[in-house]
Amino acid sequence: METTVAPGRIEEVIGGEETQPDRPWLVIVWNDPINLMSYVTWVFQKLFGYSLQKATRLMLQVHHEGKSVVSSGSREKAELDCFRLHAHGLWATIAKSD
Amino acid sequence: MAVFESTASGTLVSLEEGEADVLRTLLGEMKQLITQEAAVDHAVIDRLFPAAYADPKDAQAFTEMVGDELRAGKLHAIAQVRDALADEGPATAQVSDPDPWLTVLTDLRLALGTRLEVTEENMDGDLDPEDPKSNAMAVLHWLGWLQGSLLETLHTKGEG
Repeated sequence: METTVAPGRIEEVIGGEETQPDRPWLVIVWNDPINLMSYVTWVFQKLFGYSLQKATRLMLQVHHEGKSVVSSGSREKAELDCFRLHAHGLWATIAKSD
Repeated sequence: MAVFESTASGTLVSLEEGEADVLRTLLGEMKQLITQEAAVDHAVIDRLFPAAYADPKDAQAFTEMVGDELRAGKLHAIAQVRDALADEGPATAQVSDPDPWLTVLTDLRLALGTRLEVTEENMDGDLDPEDPKSNAMAVLHWLGWLQGSLLETLHTKGEG
């Protein structure tokens, strides 16, 4: 994997990051005008095992603030979570924690 | 009117003939869209298969890694829902697994809503019968109502 220049810093080579739990990969879900709020809440519960309360809080954060970090961890875990969110029709992206 | 309901033997879906016809047509179109047999609508494809990374190279690598599996999963969900519907007339079916139904209803709504370029504002507004998009908007809302009715049965069963 090539290294790429990002604003203000050089990205480190991907793959060596899993050993740095203090800077995990984040899975972000973005607001969209189509998906039902009840469906988004259900997806968070089903995929991540979150309580109704936590899933609802995350869904409302997506709705009101435009996005929410719904899971984090190694790059491999983030990609699996992102894949599962895409399979369920949610608009999810992966980013490195600042 | 179509409805999902909890019964002693599990969740049951009942669709009137016109509703089942709409769903059968939309399922056929969605299958063509995903297999790209129909003309590709890039906005819809981009919404069904979003870029996972801001960096185009990383996004492309992610697509190469999971794209086939995502498409296969969506096609499998379409096939499962299609199998539950009769070839014609009204449809009544047991919903042993809600997941394919929820996936299909979501994908249909995403495709339709993306084509209609819906926003938070016009999703909540009243339909204008003069608007050429009003029929498609009505279908979008009906699919949402259907999905909401299925989600309610899951909550009643304590799974939600």
